[in-house]
Amino acid sequence: MSDNVLRVGIGGPVGTGKTSLTEALVPIFMAAGRTPGVITNDIYTQEDARHVRRELAGIIDPERVVGVETGACPHTAVRDDPTMNLAAGEEMLERFPDIDTLIYESGGDNLTLTFSPSLADVFVFVLDTSNGEKMPRKGGPGITESDILVINKVDIAQYVRTDLGVMERDAHAVRKGKPVVLTNSLDGTGVQELFDTIMARWQLSRGEIVA
Amino acid sequence: MSTTEGAGVAQLLVSLQLSDSAFPSGFYAMSHGLEGFLQRGVVDRDTVFELLDDMLVQTVGPGDATALARAHGFAARREWDEVAELDRQLFASKLSSELRVASTRSGRQLADIAGETFAGTRGGDDIATWAQRVKARQTPGCQAIVTGVCYAATGVPMTQAVVSDLFAFAVSFAGAALRLRLTDHRTTQVLLRRIQPTIEAVAADAVARPAADIGGFTPVGDIMSAAHERADARLFTS
Repeated sequence: MSDNVLRVGIGGPVGTGKTSLTEALVPIFMAAGRTPGVITNDIYTQEDARHVRRELAGIIDPERVVGVETGACPHTAVRDDPTMNLAAGEEMLERFPDIDTLIYESGGDNLTLTFSPSLADVFVFVLDTSNGEKMPRKGGPGITESDILVINKVDIAQYVRTDLGVMERDAHAVRKGKPVVLTNSLDGTGVQELFDTIMARWQLSRGEIVA
Repeated sequence: MSTTEGAGVAQLLVSLQLSDSAFPSGFYAMSHGLEGFLQRGVVDRDTVFELLDDMLVQTVGPGDATALARAHGFAARREWDEVAELDRQLFASKLSSELRVASTRSGRQLADIAGETFAGTRGGDDIATWAQRVKARQTPGCQAIVTGVCYAATGVPMTQAVVSDLFAFAVSFAGAALRLRLTDHRTTQVLLRRIQPTIEAVAADAVARPAADIGGFTPVGDIMSAAHERADARLFTS
């Protein structure tokens, strides 16, 4: 796969907004001159892929959104054995050579989910405020090891008894300086910052490879 | 390279590595038709063993296992055009799209990984030769063919190669059965032990079967697979 193709892995627990974040990111990637394709890993194949196609109708060709089966275990399909995702990505690039950005959305999974470095250049882990303010403190590889931690649904924190300030403070504490981005993917809050952070992280990793 | 030497420890280790369920072959995402049978309600906990037995005898043995054996022979002599012909033949024998996609996605990734894994070691150059053809899309890249090339190149004898791949299939099938709640952690192991005589017999047949006879005749399996690839909800790629 070309080094010029950015591969973003988006993972996190069920219902944190991975799909809506993907849908919010696609237009921003396009506005920045990039050409994205989306590969979803739902528990059952097609639900997330259909949602992305429907929400981005008229923005991205539906054929540039594909679902991959995970064998009932999303983290295996993006970490232990990413074979089917790698193959789906290669097929997407063969079919649409203009694609320069692949967004891999993992199926909803637990705090131990991580992306294989061979599958994603930038690994984004998504929590939301309704997970509870203790969640960043709990840690887990997704929260501590991801390149970017997103805390989504900042707008509903007050309704789910979550102190966003505590959540953000703890997130920074356990991540030891790695970025944390607060978002509301439905109204776009923080999504541009997430895009900028993804691109910065990618540039940094490419620099490390060159060096 | 030789196909007649006995299996030494080095060859045993290659077999163990390639057939290990932790080897990233993509098998984890496959149910090999089982999910389709379950969705149609024609397999349950009492019949899952019989289904695995039938699949080995009627589908995998005449198909993938036979192709692997014949590919092993040609690859051991570096007759790459003949290996390619077998690859096309096996690809054509897989009637449903999902089975072709599953096999070639797995095979292409396997070729890529094996090329790196065995580089600089025995068989590495031959595996790289085949992997290059697969990568260049000069051949479909079916999993069984790539596997046969890997085993031949590393000196794993033909029968051991076929048995190893059949066992990898059985473990993958059993793993899918576990996740589909057709077995549990204990009955899975009972199933894998009970199926071993079938694997022995199927391997012996595959080693003897000519290339002209590649491909099974399993219309029910093909119908289940056809329904599965259009199902609204799927956990598995096949």
